[in-house]
Amino acid sequence: MEALPQTLLFGILRSGLYALTALGLAISLGVIGVVNFAHGEFVMLGAFIGFWLYLTLSGVSGLGPAVSPLVIVIGLPLSAIVLYAIAAGVYRFTLRPVLRQPELNQMLLTFGLSILAVNATSIVLSPQAKDANLAWRFDLLELDFVNVTFARIAAFVVSAVLVGATYLLLARTKLGKQMRAVAQNRLGAQIVGIPIDRVYEFAFGLSAALAAAAGVMLIFQTQVSPFLGLGTLLKSFSIVVLAGLGNLAGVIWASLLLGLAEQLVSQYVPGGAALRDGLFFVIIFLVLIVKPSGLRR
Amino acid sequence: MRRNLIAWAVFIAAVAVLPWLGVSNDRYLMLLANVMLMFMTLALSWDVVARTGQLSLAHGAFFGLGAYGVAIAHRTWALHPLVGIVIAACAVATVALALGVVTLRLRGIYFAIATLAFAEVLRTVALQFPDFTGGTVGIAMPPLFDGDRVLSYYLIGAIFVLALATSLAVRWTRLHYAVTAIRANETVAQVMGIDVVRVKVVLFVASATLAGLAGAFYMPFITHTDPNDAFDIGRSVASLVFPIFGGLYTTAGPVIGTILMRSLEEYLRVTPPWKEGYQVVYGLVIVVAVLFMPRGLLGLVQDLRLKRPDRRWAWRFSR
Amino acid sequence: MALLEVSGLVRRFRGLAAVDRLSFRVAEGQTVAIIGPNGAGKSTTFNLVSGLLGVDGGTIRFRGADVTRSPAHSRTRAGIGRTFQVVQPFVDLNVMDNVIVGALFGASASLGAARADANRLIELVGLGDKRFSGVSALTLADRKRLELARALATKPVLLMLDEVMEGLTPTEERDAVRLLSDVRAEGVTLLLIEHVMSTVRDLSDHVLVMDYGKKLAEGSYEEVAHDPKVIEAYLGTDTEA
Repeated sequence: MEALPQTLLFGILRSGLYALTALGLAISLGVIGVVNFAHGEFVMLGAFIGFWLYLTLSGVSGLGPAVSPLVIVIGLPLSAIVLYAIAAGVYRFTLRPVLRQPELNQMLLTFGLSILAVNATSIVLSPQAKDANLAWRFDLLELDFVNVTFARIAAFVVSAVLVGATYLLLARTKLGKQMRAVAQNRLGAQIVGIPIDRVYEFAFGLSAALAAAAGVMLIFQTQVSPFLGLGTLLKSFSIVVLAGLGNLAGVIWASLLLGLAEQLVSQYVPGGAALRDGLFFVIIFLVLIVKPSGLRR
Repeated sequence: MRRNLIAWAVFIAAVAVLPWLGVSNDRYLMLLANVMLMFMTLALSWDVVARTGQLSLAHGAFFGLGAYGVAIAHRTWALHPLVGIVIAACAVATVALALGVVTLRLRGIYFAIATLAFAEVLRTVALQFPDFTGGTVGIAMPPLFDGDRVLSYYLIGAIFVLALATSLAVRWTRLHYAVTAIRANETVAQVMGIDVVRVKVVLFVASATLAGLAGAFYMPFITHTDPNDAFDIGRSVASLVFPIFGGLYTTAGPVIGTILMRSLEEYLRVTPPWKEGYQVVYGLVIVVAVLFMPRGLLGLVQDLRLKRPDRRWAWRFSR
Repeated sequence: MALLEVSGLVRRFRGLAAVDRLSFRVAEGQTVAIIGPNGAGKSTTFNLVSGLLGVDGGTIRFRGADVTRSPAHSRTRAGIGRTFQVVQPFVDLNVMDNVIVGALFGASASLGAARADANRLIELVGLGDKRFSGVSALTLADRKRLELARALATKPVLLMLDEVMEGLTPTEERDAVRLLSDVRAEGVTLLLIEHVMSTVRDLSDHVLVMDYGKKLAEGSYEEVAHDPKVIEAYLGTDTEA
């Protein structure tokens, strides 16, 4: 039974990055109303930026893994800015024109962008076969009864800060309130004079920036490859579906649930490690059967 | 309509005659022909469900499910491949029914997400249960018709004709009205007396079964597969790119789109630097099509025809 | 036995009752108008009766049968037809095919019979020369004609019309009233949501007034037009006693 505190802790820590990625998706879905199948690629590109930064810094300084904190400090704003710009461009040139088209076309568009991004990255940055392999890890931090790597703690802290900051933005700032207004009532928001196009662009850019930040933190936990987007996307979808469309606050609870469930299943269910990977589908499927509107009351 | 059917009959005849035009001796060309028919089936099947306005990202997964179904049936009960193919198709139909009944009564985005998740789950399940599926090593079975590519050509040809018939049926029966209404406005379609969920489910199951049949053919044809091959997301992408490129909601569109794009793909696959990332073309085609030619090549052609002086004629047959 | 009987109908949106214990009946052959200020719950009532929204309480009986839990398409086939306040033609189909949809599925006709019905109805509403037009080529009045023809194609026993007169010029209004009288003459029971009082006065034998989801008043046009509660609901408190 000593495994239980460790399992729970892991679950909570993992939920940090899940929440960060899912929040971005929830924002673009809730504010703009479009399903962004390329959201995972925002994470992936952020990861590549972080990884490039790591290679550059550790190579230049000769310091090796010790540059990691620096990578975080520089990488987060850098990737956020770059991905915000990319997302804004994507919005203006491809997404905005199709907002008037049926939902099927919008979904096809973001799906096409996803395929484009994954394969273009594969061609340009690294041939498919070669994953970027990080041979180093943060040291283990050994507490009383749990072992956890710095990487996980750092990821959780960063996620908590960014998620908290986003909620503050949504609650307190003018832009945030505009976003919430648009999410609640598109037509009404336009009638009262909210510049809906700018709000859309900002929401999309913000979702990408959050995803990019998550990507940077991911380089310390997993291999970086052009294909890491899909798994991230699916987990984010299951969180968003569980929380209920438009329920931004619920994203935190849903992320915790997914994080904990994953760890508990892989630890305590026989054959669980295999099932863990499919958990997101089980969650999506069950929610859709039982209560399609999610956790929202 | 009659003119249309005659044109297709001619096409089918041409397809049937192909091996006798000297192609049958070239194993590589016969391979291409078999695979081409397989992809045309896949493309036609995807288009059928797209007509209800739904985006399925699982067609590659149904394909893989069909492939594994035949292989597992063979390994477990030593069934003749043809019997195995039928059984695999039934299995796919059942799974599609379960998935469809749950997700098709909801908004289209849930369906799309669920199909994507479903596809990925199948791949991981195939990887994680090696006792059942052979895991990463994959699964094998003896070659179809002992490797006779002409016979297998006629088998996939028959499956293709089935897909063709399904597509034509959706166009030329009252289903056409139901499907177009559903796609245009589900709510109003209901109020017009259409049982929207049932239509969507029926077409989804039919469509998935066709994809499953294509996959079930693939397995004995190729004799070996593994989860990354059978559930390659590239096939889900291909099944939607080909119809989009050729022209959605038509029968000729998926067929033409497949022929053109697959030929291009064969070229790209062996040409660096596209080799591994040739699917970037797929992504590009999807984006360009949605932005600039939503009705594909056929749509472009039809639009050119609309510029003719007799405009009233143009709308005589609804799009 | 009333054709349509609504009892204690309730529908809430996040705690707010859009329809609050509403009860009324429509007898066969009648023309009933539902009027009331904006937000009174009139369109919601239509959505509940046609089956597009689920009820939170109460029952709906049509021709004696309880249809409260029936799906929308079954209700249409049973004889409840409707049009929408914001017209919603099927944009990918031409005029003819739009109407055929109604006939094929709402009236369960064969393709041949559906075509014949569609032709007849298109003539009836006055769209004969635009039979093969695309929807985008139609004026608003024409789209409303299409909407009506399509609803009629489902062979309704009860036809619910949601603000049919909205956006029409006086001439078009007169044509519409005449058209509706013809429809009524064919034996269709009409239930209208209307803001244009002249239409209400000319067409209806019975008026129902709604406010805040409840029934405020009921009676003939004259009775209702002079009811102080109704006047207050529309105009606010009367300044002269």
